[in-house]
Amino acid sequence: MPPVINQELCVKCGLCAQICPLDVIKVEQNVENEKNIVVKYPDECWHCRACAIDCPKQAIKLRYPLSHMMLHIEVNEQERGI
Amino acid sequence: MKATVRKDIVKTDVLIIGGGIAGMQAAITAAEHGVDVIVAEKADTRRSGCGATGNDHFMCYIPEYHGEDFNEIIREVTETLVGPLQDMDLLRLMMKRSHELVLKWESYGIPMRPTGQWSFMGHAMPGRRRYHLKYDGKDQKPLLTKAALARGAKIMNKTVMRQLLTDDAGRVVGAIGINITNDVPEIVVFQTKAVIIATGNALRLYPGQNPAYSFNVANCPADTGSGQAMALRAGARLVNLDQPYVHSGPKYFARAGKATWIGVLTDFHGEPVGPFVTKPTKELGDVTADIWQNVFEEKMEDGSGPVYMNCSETSEDDMQYMMNAFLSEGDSSIVDYLDQYDINLRKEMVEFGTFEYNFTARGLDIGLDGGTTLPGLYAAGNATGNVRGDITSAAVFGHICAENASEYVKTQPDYDVTNHAEIAKEIELIDTILGRENGATWREANSMLQQIMREYVGMKLRSESLMKAGIKYIRDLRKYSLNQLKADNAHELMRTLEVLDLIDVGEAVALMSENRKESRGRCHRRSDYTFTNPLLNNKFQTIAKTKDGFQLEFRDKAR
Ligand SMILES: Cc1cc2nc3c(=O)[nH]c(=O)nc-3n(C[C@H](O)[C@H](O)[C@H](O)COP(=O)(O)OP(=O)(O)OC[C@H]3O[C@@H](n4cnc5c(N)ncnc54)[C@H](O)[C@@H]3O)c2cc1C
Ligand code: SF4
Ligand code: SF4
Repeated sequence: MPPVINQELCVKCGLCAQICPLDVIKVEQNVENEKNIVVKYPDECWHCRACAIDCPKQAIKLRYPLSHMMLHIEVNEQERGI
Repeated sequence: MKATVRKDIVKTDVLIIGGGIAGMQAAITAAEHGVDVIVAEKADTRRSGCGATGNDHFMCYIPEYHGEDFNEIIREVTETLVGPLQDMDLLRLMMKRSHELVLKWESYGIPMRPTGQWSFMGHAMPGRRRYHLKYDGKDQKPLLTKAALARGAKIMNKTVMRQLLTDDAGRVVGAIGINITNDVPEIVVFQTKAVIIATGNALRLYPGQNPAYSFNVANCPADTGSGQAMALRAGARLVNLDQPYVHSGPKYFARAGKATWIGVLTDFHGEPVGPFVTKPTKELGDVTADIWQNVFEEKMEDGSGPVYMNCSETSEDDMQYMMNAFLSEGDSSIVDYLDQYDINLRKEMVEFGTFEYNFTARGLDIGLDGGTTLPGLYAAGNATGNVRGDITSAAVFGHICAENASEYVKTQPDYDVTNHAEIAKEIELIDTILGRENGATWREANSMLQQIMREYVGMKLRSESLMKAGIKYIRDLRKYSLNQLKADNAHELMRTLEVLDLIDVGEAVALMSENRKESRGRCHRRSDYTFTNPLLNNKFQTIAKTKDGFQLEFRDKAR
């Protein structure tokens, strides 16, 4: 689930759903006409962070899946213990 | 489910398909020329495309900074980043007008001189002139959108364009799109006198480093070659699809923006792999991978890899500069990742690798006016195939297309598209896809397409038998897809149509690659023609669909 929405901070303005370049986030409405902001297509997230940057309440954090691991290693061989 | 069809045809003088960098610049310029202009964008122009959350290098020639020697800059440009697939007349035109566009962007409020001065950094060799202006693009898309709206351009967001409409003479007179705002898709028909295609690259045709996650690609995965595909179907000529492009960066964390890194590419032991820098500075990051594009693969294959981006020798000031630049570049996810995983670039090197094969500036064949081979059809940016300049070509040719399209439309009569035969066909296709209860998903078709492209029209080795088999398989996939694909809502319909477009682009790529009976560059190595034919050095290959089938030709680079 790449974007993670903090539902307590979210004011359901729908901006994130509107601007996401990949149409990942959707505004859904229940029978009582209450809005719900849903990360509907998490696998289609491009990690551009537009949603997180533009959210007026800073309610969105990105979670980076293990499939996207940024491989890294200590610079000095000695410190690497190899 | 069935799609609804908008009752009224949307009429305009100029329709721009795709509201990325090229499309928004075109919208601003067309509106300034006083014509009616609509941008149809599948997402929202404020944050769509490859420049969604920023870019930071604007290749340009600024006489007051570079001096009068224009040719020197042209030489630097061709020897480093943008590569050999250039019509030099288009490239020179682009660089000549780059300064004008930089000043325009500044007037829209985009910080082109965030330090107060012209500052040229990166993408350069030691001791040579630099021509990449460092700017702050993080808000470029909202600002371009604001400038377009202020000048009277109209924007239709969440509108996925699918098909061009032509008259009997082949003139472009309209287009069909799908509004995906709600779950039930709405088909929208456009009547226009000119179309500017600005849909960018063709991602998701080849698999990325991470095939199970096909949106983990360096360039925007919403750019799916639909401009190239719809132009091809309408009869326009495309160019250079047989030589895809590759870029590099953090291996499994696909983000473009390699030149923003200030570090040295080193091997496992910390030794530089290229000859250009040992102590990186913001002026000169390591240009090695711009020039030796296979470095990562070669060193993995011969066992001397992996190759790392090593920033341990970067000064504290330059490190801060780089972190800020990532934010300008649309790469805030890199900063966020380093932070979340507590990775300190002073101490840790990040492995780099080659990203997905893509079609950066492989596509429509344009002339000096931005016009394609179809009357009324213009194209700019990464959807074009004979000039490459990334942000610069998008901005400059978006502007040039709009200048010329605005004049062209004044000479054109209205053409009523109400009963155009394509409209009924498209509605039928869409309703069939939406109406299937059981069937194939877009993901199935997309993954098979990627497999076929990787194995049969691959970049490691190509041959006649492989590619002829590949062409057959792509056509089978198209047939089965048309008979089986289903979508349950507007979002899935968009993805399904993207795959159908990608299949068309894939077929053209395969046909052109098979027809290039030589080896050339990094991306077209043939086992049956291992040599490079010098007679083709100054030629481009083109493809067009005619009523007699596909026409492939080699023509001089200059049109
Ligand atoms: C992270 C990153 C950093 C980069 N940094 C730089 C840099 O510093 N300097 C540089 O020169 N270049 C850079 N680039 C490349 C640059 O962003 C692109 O070259 C540029 O955006 C191309 O412009 P374009 O208009 O052709 O395509 P895009 O800006 O990608 O726009 C294409 C638009 O078309 C829309 N679209 C696609 N299909 C359809 C359809 N069927 N219907 C409707 N709309 C559609 C898309 O949603 C998108 O908005 C970078 C790219 C990335 C990803
Ligand atoms: S932008 Fe922020 S506040 Fe608005 S709906 Fe999205 S998460 Fe909620
Ligand atoms: S990070 Fe980008 S692609 Fe992912 S959900 Fe947010 S806006 Fe959409």
